[in-house]
Amino acid sequence: MRAACVIAGAMVGAAPAGAQRALTVAPFASLAEHRVDAGLGVERSLGPIVGGVGTLRVGPRLEVAVRAVGGRLIGSTGVLDRDVGELGVEASVITLPWLALQAGAARRAYSTKLGRQTWTLVSLGGTARMAFAGDAIHSVWRAALLPAVSASGLTDPDVAFRAATGLEYRVRTTTLMVEYSLERYDFPAEAGVRRLEQLSALTLRLELRLR
Amino acid sequence: MRAVALAAIVVTATVTPLTAQGSTAELLGQAHEFYERLEVERALPLLRQIVSPNWPFEVTPEQRVEAYKYLGACLTLAGKRDSAVLYFRGAIERDPFTELDPNVFTPAQLATFGEAQRRTFAVAVRPVEPARVDPRTARVTFTIVATHAALVDVKLSAVGSGPRLSLFQSTMDGVREITWDGLLADRRLAPPGRYALAVVGRSRLTGTADSARVYFDLRHEVAPLEDTLPALDQRALLPERISPEAARRDVPKGLGVAAAALLIAAAANGDLGGSERGGAAALAATAAATGLVAFLVHRRNGAIPQNVVANARRRAERDSANASVRGRNADRLAATVLLVSPAAGEGTGP
Repeated sequence: MRAACVIAGAMVGAAPAGAQRALTVAPFASLAEHRVDAGLGVERSLGPIVGGVGTLRVGPRLEVAVRAVGGRLIGSTGVLDRDVGELGVEASVITLPWLALQAGAARRAYSTKLGRQTWTLVSLGGTARMAFAGDAIHSVWRAALLPAVSASGLTDPDVAFRAATGLEYRVRTTTLMVEYSLERYDFPAEAGVRRLEQLSALTLRLELRLR
Repeated sequence: MRAVALAAIVVTATVTPLTAQGSTAELLGQAHEFYERLEVERALPLLRQIVSPNWPFEVTPEQRVEAYKYLGACLTLAGKRDSAVLYFRGAIERDPFTELDPNVFTPAQLATFGEAQRRTFAVAVRPVEPARVDPRTARVTFTIVATHAALVDVKLSAVGSGPRLSLFQSTMDGVREITWDGLLADRRLAPPGRYALAVVGRSRLTGTADSARVYFDLRHEVAPLEDTLPALDQRALLPERISPEAARRDVPKGLGVAAAALLIAAAANGDLGGSERGGAAALAATAAATGLVAFLVHRRNGAIPQNVVANARRRAERDSANASVRGRNADRLAATVLLVSPAAGEGTGP
């Protein structure tokens, strides 16, 4: 099974801040684009990613989410295809009815036919939700800093962050979410070359409340 | 010396009523003793003293009735029937419940007393005895009397208001007990208050009429009732419709998400030649459309179904709780116990 261990937890984020459910599962599908500029021009790869998030509410204000995602990014002309996968865990503390603060860690892998690169990501951030009239639709705003990022074969990036925005449509125990997200990594220059890397995705997620 | 005199006055003032009653009782006792020994001629003067207006001591109504009764009995034994009838009538007029015990008095005395009853017409009702009555299993009892055959009508009414409830209407002779189940004419439990029991009789022998009335207070003994839940006011209910202002705010919210998506896609990664701009544009369009559609839908149909359901559930819970409260209260009211106590005259009652 070449493909996949999992990607893009950052793009999917934590469980809803205002939710009162105890256990939810949320399968999702993303169209992700990976861009890298290592001094030889921008390499672009694009492809579908699928995965899921399980969220367990362990207290009135605390949720723990585990996600697993994976997929294949098809490289543009002259760029190798790569499989991506990620496993991640994230804790959310609901500080206000509309705001949750999150801390998480993830392990990501990129595999090509030439080799494999693993990333370790630690994130600190928050998610804000703003209800539309009627409370059935919410706008979602996410932002996170990635203060600790290590990638095999690379020095740690100077700048790493994640931003996302989207909408949630709630119908009874089901929530449909559409979200645009972006991760950005700026590595320090080495030999006059500065490596830039980013992962963006348009994600469609269906959240189901089990109990 | 003055202290002694004062003490003597106080003692005298305190003791005098007792002594007066004691004198009457003493004299009545002596008369009884003479009567029992058939010394009628010695008993009569004593009894006459008691009923005399010149008797200086206090005479209770019971003592006076007793004196009249024994005067009639003595005079019967003395062969003075007409006088005996007069004294018996005196006793009956003062207390229509007066009667002679057949085991104590002779047939002649009983016959003379019967003659007095036939010549005297009176109705009466005994004062109500304090009682605690469970109307489900017991009755309030009244005792009435007609000195001879008469058409008697007994009615119960709340003092100052309410229709009269007829408890008895028939011919009777002598003492009779009448029961009341605690209900009024509408078959509802009589409310607390003061009540009057009126007895009106018309003699079947002489055509004369008489009446009597007794008052009593009625109270309810019932377990404390629960209050029902108050009506749900606006603060306790969720808004069931979206206000126009809230609907209008959906547009900028959608546009905000759209702008944020485009900003992230454009500004954050320009040095990488852009990013998945199609995705950002798709989300932006979706968000803008969502805001616009939400505004239009909410403006036309601003109902909030989940709030309507939640409010309906709250109302149903309240109604259910109140139904339970009313049921428990009804059970408690059904177990109401009537407390009856005598009263003097018309008044407001308890």
